[in-house]
Amino acid sequence: MSNFSDVILMTHVLFGMLCIIASVWVFVDVLNASEANQARIKGLSVAVAVFMWLAYLIGGYWYVVFYATDKALILKGPWPFAHNFVMEMKEHVILMLLLLATYLPIAASSNLFANRSARSVVLWVAGLIVLIGMTMDGSGAIIGMGAKVALLAK
Amino acid sequence: MNDNSLGKYTVSFGLSLAITSLLSALLVVLKELNEPVLNWMKHATVHHWVTHGIFNLIVFVVLGWALAQLNGGAGPKITTKALITGFVGAVVIGGLIIAGFYLIEG
Repeated sequence: MSNFSDVILMTHVLFGMLCIIASVWVFVDVLNASEANQARIKGLSVAVAVFMWLAYLIGGYWYVVFYATDKALILKGPWPFAHNFVMEMKEHVILMLLLLATYLPIAASSNLFANRSARSVVLWVAGLIVLIGMTMDGSGAIIGMGAKVALLAK
Repeated sequence: MNDNSLGKYTVSFGLSLAITSLLSALLVVLKELNEPVLNWMKHATVHHWVTHGIFNLIVFVVLGWALAQLNGGAGPKITTKALITGFVGAVVIGGLIIAGFYLIEG
């Protein structure tokens, strides 16, 4: 059972990282927007949304089904803030990240190479996804460490 | 030919993103401080967090669609700077509300 839980968790991280990488790609492509990369930007923006939704649904499944054991462990360990602050913050901030990722393909649907305003909107959305995504990734690492130090303290 | 006007769905869903982000952050505070609200959200689905996500999604889609119908279907009239300031500000403030709340209450 524990292996299945780990696979689920790693898949969640994988799609989260793919979402960040695709967002960086969108950001760079939009900085160099032209007629030639317009279709790629739109495709990558959809990929960002799909990766984020997969990360959210898979992570949500793990959180609802498996996290209770880790939570109890973390709260009894030396890093209770890994749940009380970090996980609580992560699980709610990620809902805004999901909205940003869902909005990206809508914002990227304009002819970006000919529309400076639309480019600005997409750059800000992609930039926020990267920054918040990296914060979420770091938060996940702290939560994992919270469980690890709790096990080591036993 | 350059056209710097934003599409109506870019504007309407950008505003919806801003409003939903703030409502989501306020819902965090509300459910954590109000036991009946938290209990209702827990029982509405398998987990209060799942209910919260569904609430956000419904608000985002419905508000984005409704705002696009304004001005005879042309959508809201707003400058690019105001739109960006709106959703970036809302996401930052929403994040600070959530982080601040759990820093104090966690």
